[in-house]
Amino acid sequence: MKGGAMMDEWYPVGLFSQLSEKGSKTWLMGEAIEVARDRHGNAQVITAEGRALPIRVRYGHVWSSLGNPEKELFAIPEADQPGRRFVDVGVVRVRCSPLRAVENFLDIAHFPFVHTDILGAEPHTEVENYKVEIREGVDEVWATQVKFYQPQAAKSATGGITTEYMYRVPAPTCSVLYKTCPPRPSEWDVITLFVQPLAEDLCDVWPWMALFDDETPMTDLIHFQQTIFLQDRSILENQIPALLPLDPGMEIPTRADLTSIAYRRWLKRHNYTYGAQLVAQ
Amino acid sequence: MKLYDYVLSPSCYKVRLMAAILGIKLDIRPVDFHPGAEHRGPELLALNPAGSIPILEDGDLVLTESSAMLAYLAANSAPEWLGQDSPQETARVQQWLSFSHRLTANLGGARLHEMLLRPGDIKTLQAQGVAALRELEAGLFEQGERGMQFLAASRATIADIACFPYVALAPDGGISLDPYPLIRLWMRAIRSLPGFIEMPGIHRLHELKPDPHPAGEA
Amino acid sequence: MPFDGAGSWAPVALSSDLPPGTVIPAWTSVGPIALWRSQSGRATASSDRCPHRGMRLSHGFVRGEALSCIYHGWSYAVSGGCIRIPAHPDLVPPETIRVAVQQIEEAGGILWAAVGQPATQPPQLDELVPLRSLSVEGDVAAIEAAAGAKIDARGLIRLPEFPWIGLLLAPQEKHTLLLLMIDRDRGPADRIAASRIVESIRRAAEERHREIAE
Repeated sequence: MKGGAMMDEWYPVGLFSQLSEKGSKTWLMGEAIEVARDRHGNAQVITAEGRALPIRVRYGHVWSSLGNPEKELFAIPEADQPGRRFVDVGVVRVRCSPLRAVENFLDIAHFPFVHTDILGAEPHTEVENYKVEIREGVDEVWATQVKFYQPQAAKSATGGITTEYMYRVPAPTCSVLYKTCPPRPSEWDVITLFVQPLAEDLCDVWPWMALFDDETPMTDLIHFQQTIFLQDRSILENQIPALLPLDPGMEIPTRADLTSIAYRRWLKRHNYTYGAQLVAQ
Repeated sequence: MKLYDYVLSPSCYKVRLMAAILGIKLDIRPVDFHPGAEHRGPELLALNPAGSIPILEDGDLVLTESSAMLAYLAANSAPEWLGQDSPQETARVQQWLSFSHRLTANLGGARLHEMLLRPGDIKTLQAQGVAALRELEAGLFEQGERGMQFLAASRATIADIACFPYVALAPDGGISLDPYPLIRLWMRAIRSLPGFIEMPGIHRLHELKPDPHPAGEA
Repeated sequence: MPFDGAGSWAPVALSSDLPPGTVIPAWTSVGPIALWRSQSGRATASSDRCPHRGMRLSHGFVRGEALSCIYHGWSYAVSGGCIRIPAHPDLVPPETIRVAVQQIEEAGGILWAAVGQPATQPPQLDELVPLRSLSVEGDVAAIEAAAGAKIDARGLIRLPEFPWIGLLLAPQEKHTLLLLMIDRDRGPADRIAASRIVESIRRAAEERHREIAE
């Protein structure tokens, strides 16, 4: 099985709040698994052969692995701040590489065309320079000082603002976005994309949020995030090739794509190739 | 008028779209269909025992069928959208409204399965979806031969609004729209209507807005 | 599709299926194309893939004389060169950023793609007018069997029972493109009748194809 180094990572496999004793069947990197809650309320993940997989319950989701993760699941300190509201956005299945799903989440140049009049609008299409690094200590991709003008940046925003962002990739199929928080301008709203690779060209996407927003009803928050993701889905299902090319040649980045360039380089460096293709075809 | 609504529901979108085109303001009450299954919860079941959305409430009128909601909005504000100019037109509207219910089952069922993990026999749903799209393509050809750009008339009616969402979102269920040139042109005509609004999965027609920075051509 | 020694022509779409300012997905022997018509009426076949992040250009939009990708708005001229990258409005895109463009001819209400380097023009089908375009899940042989006749040198089947109907066939990657045509002098009732007849033929051809596949 083509897992490479990605076998020993943590992946989301379900919402903790939706576990049942009956269990629900899904897949992780081609392996059939069942996710359930035992008599004591603990999450359990079992393969078709009856092997119990390691478990973590964090950020509203159940996480598991087919291998032996060396590291703990990444930390999101903002999730522990008092006053945060957590939003389980709900799973959406997409016929695309899990790596393509993450790369799309890191991209802002598509906002005026795909999230028109919500996250961006013509003629405000310019992507100004921003900073990107692979932080060696934590070994994560970080993009900071990312700015974009948005007509309606969040449910809690009352008009157009220039939103500031930070993007972070702490695991090959997870991304964390830190976004200007209108009610508390010195804090960041946290929006995440946790991607479960079912196969190299099929994934379940589990968006999740930790926000400072006491006003907006929960369902509105869920619907806003589902709207954004559903707008991306028809793009993701129409990219060729399906697998993310990690070698240059097939696809042409520009300066606006610094985060995705770093992400692809980081994936290649770590041999995170499930959902990727290596030789330009 | 209060609409119990889910932003990703094509049936709810039919009502939102009709209201937007007619300039009717709806009071939207969002329903956590997914992941919360709120439509099956006690409050909404009390209003609609069928457990479906959309639900439209106007005074003591409660409607639970999207076709009825379209008819109600049109009858109230713009009866020409009902398409009743002749017996043939009336019949065509009814024919395509009934057809639209089949789309909810086949195209809609395929979409729920592929996207939101709902149970279903996906191969059968997709085959039925293809058959329905071919029926629509043939119907649009014949309408074109009669000099009519829309399903029941030369102008759009509630029949077009009823069929449009599930058709436009067929690819969500793994059913390609590539082989249907007339469906493509019909969708474009609908997407170009004054007051048209999108839903997630249906992009804006950017070509309708002139290029803000016209470039020199090579 | 007669081969003239250097190449031939394959039908790709009906002209009427491509109004000015639109783009549609289509297919040629070179591969999938984004077939588009500029505002001035010029038809172009661009490779159906934006070199930025691989998005299908057939999902894009046409403004003026350029085709733009729906993902990030990268715009391409009829020559195939990228002329604008909205994320960098002041950048003149390098010439290396381009999509391949194929030769297209428009004749008799049909858009034709060159296969190889044909020395001649597309086939003359002046006695016929095209009505609509269909996709058949079956090969030419299955369609010939259902129609009860074989294709001629121009790729056209004349139906024995309805000789005023012609089916112009073009094998594509996974199916056969069928352009329904009728004699120029037929009336409106015949046009609708022809459409219903070809639907029956498609049903029979696909049934036969399924039987053979099992």
